[in-house]
Amino acid sequence: MTISVTDLTVRYGEKVVLDDISLDIVHGKWTCLVGPNGAGKTTFLRALLGMAPYSGSIKDRGHEVFKNHKRNVAFVPQSPQIPQGMTVAEYVMLGRSKRDGWGNDSLLSREYVHKVLTQTHLFGMQTNLVSQLSGGEMQRALIARALAQEPELILLDEPTSALDLHHQISVLNNIELLKENGVTIISTMHDLTLAAMFAEEIVVIKNGRILLSGESNFVIHSSELRKAYDDRIDVYTLESGRPVVVAKKKGLI
Amino acid sequence: MMSTEHGAISRIWNWRITAFCALILLAVAIMAVSFGPISINFFKVFKTLFDLPGGSTGQDRTVILELRLPRVILGALVGAALATSGAVYQTVFHNPLADPYLLGAASGAGLGATIALTSTHHDLHAALPIFAFAGGVLAVFTSFVISGKFFADPNSLLLSGIAVGSFATAIQTYLQQQHSAALRPVYSWILGDLTSATWSVVAWSSIYIAIALVILFTVAKQLDGLMLSDEEAYSLGITPKRLRIIAVAAATLATATAVSASGLIGFVGIVVPHLVRGLTHRVTNRSLISIAMAGAAFLVLADLGARTLLSPAELPIGVITAFVGAPFFLVVLRNRRKVMQ
Repeated sequence: MTISVTDLTVRYGEKVVLDDISLDIVHGKWTCLVGPNGAGKTTFLRALLGMAPYSGSIKDRGHEVFKNHKRNVAFVPQSPQIPQGMTVAEYVMLGRSKRDGWGNDSLLSREYVHKVLTQTHLFGMQTNLVSQLSGGEMQRALIARALAQEPELILLDEPTSALDLHHQISVLNNIELLKENGVTIISTMHDLTLAAMFAEEIVVIKNGRILLSGESNFVIHSSELRKAYDDRIDVYTLESGRPVVVAKKKGLI
Repeated sequence: MMSTEHGAISRIWNWRITAFCALILLAVAIMAVSFGPISINFFKVFKTLFDLPGGSTGQDRTVILELRLPRVILGALVGAALATSGAVYQTVFHNPLADPYLLGAASGAGLGATIALTSTHHDLHAALPIFAFAGGVLAVFTSFVISGKFFADPNSLLLSGIAVGSFATAIQTYLQQQHSAALRPVYSWILGDLTSATWSVVAWSSIYIAIALVILFTVAKQLDGLMLSDEEAYSLGITPKRLRIIAVAAATLATATAVSASGLIGFVGIVVPHLVRGLTHRVTNRSLISIAMAGAAFLVLADLGARTLLSPAELPIGVITAFVGAPFFLVVLRNRRKVMQ
């Protein structure tokens, strides 16, 4: 039960964005892709989604993923296109289209959306327009739509980047809910402390190559992680054993 | 409206709205056939239309069946085509101000019509619809090709549409200045009219418009996915590029047909979709059938105004659509803002 990535290369025109990557991602776990901006993390997610043309192979449970619409994969983008005039209920309902067929509104789906809205604390806002939601509410609406999809795999691009600390934790807890239902989670994340706290596996990417991948506590304390960030980070361990990653400032210890 | 019942959210779209639009269209159509320089009794019209006993005979029957009915049907077809295309363009381009003429369809058709009217061969004048149709389709196709990468990015298509449109308008103006005698017919065509409606015009335009509308209604539910980013749409089971091409091609077919049958009737493509969405508070493309019927009713009503207000003279229908549409539109916009606050 893995997603096997073999010799994956993705090019945008002349530019090589992902360079000969091989990796096994275990289903049922939370895997986090980390690395500096421009490392190729989002492109990797697009390739895993099956949308970006690639050479090499990505096999999900033995099936090539490119343009394979049989998989049920949810995608949560970093900056979503916000549809003007659409209500929260309509927006979350879109997530049911793969289960239910487009625009069927079956009773089961409407009950499911009701449940998901409650779970993500959006219930009561279902008639609000998505264009008028705050950053945190919008992120929850995105997660709610992904939950409504009942996916086997969810891909999240920087799910916490626009949020304050309180909302970051609440969104990540919502994502963790999915794991209890056996959903595989692959996310990118800038905040390494949060990545170490939630993800079980971490993959370090730089310049389109994988520097290291493995169990998150191991990766966080590795020298490869520091190398990925040009040795500009420090890793501390709290008394509880939790790692904390902070940026270095010149002249400070 | 979207209250909860038994722990479920309520339906996103309600068939009652669709039924209501159908009723309005039917009522407006019968009214439009009844009114005119010769007024004919409502019930008589109804009986004549459905070939029931007690219908009109003689001159009245000719007026109903040969003059008014084809005109009402053409108006309904053109209205439905423009309103639906407008709604589809607005979804595809994520732009509430997009209208069916956006990709150069109008300017291309205008150029085609001008070429036909300024031609020295008078036989070509009768071929105006063909020229207009070809001009419109050719302009949109050129926009497609120039935008490159065949539709990867809707914005580049939009910009190349504007460029192609300006280019076509420039040639059109040049031709008009050269042939000043053709100015008047060109302008009356540009303002739009349904006076040319005969059964033969209805016959050929209904084929193309019906094909386009059937395609658009078939993909209508999926079009909601295009309101999201391509990755999100893809994850919901859509192939966004392909769906965009299908939608824009069908909308262009409908628009080019409408333009070649009745000239440039402005405002319908923007006003009607917003009107239906504003009144129902639903942005979903499941409303596409309702938008089509509302567009049909709107144009039939506007045409009724065009031929009765200054009777026996006729007003260009574009004047009516703007004159009635604009204030009505502003009221809906204002109300919608109130709801949002």
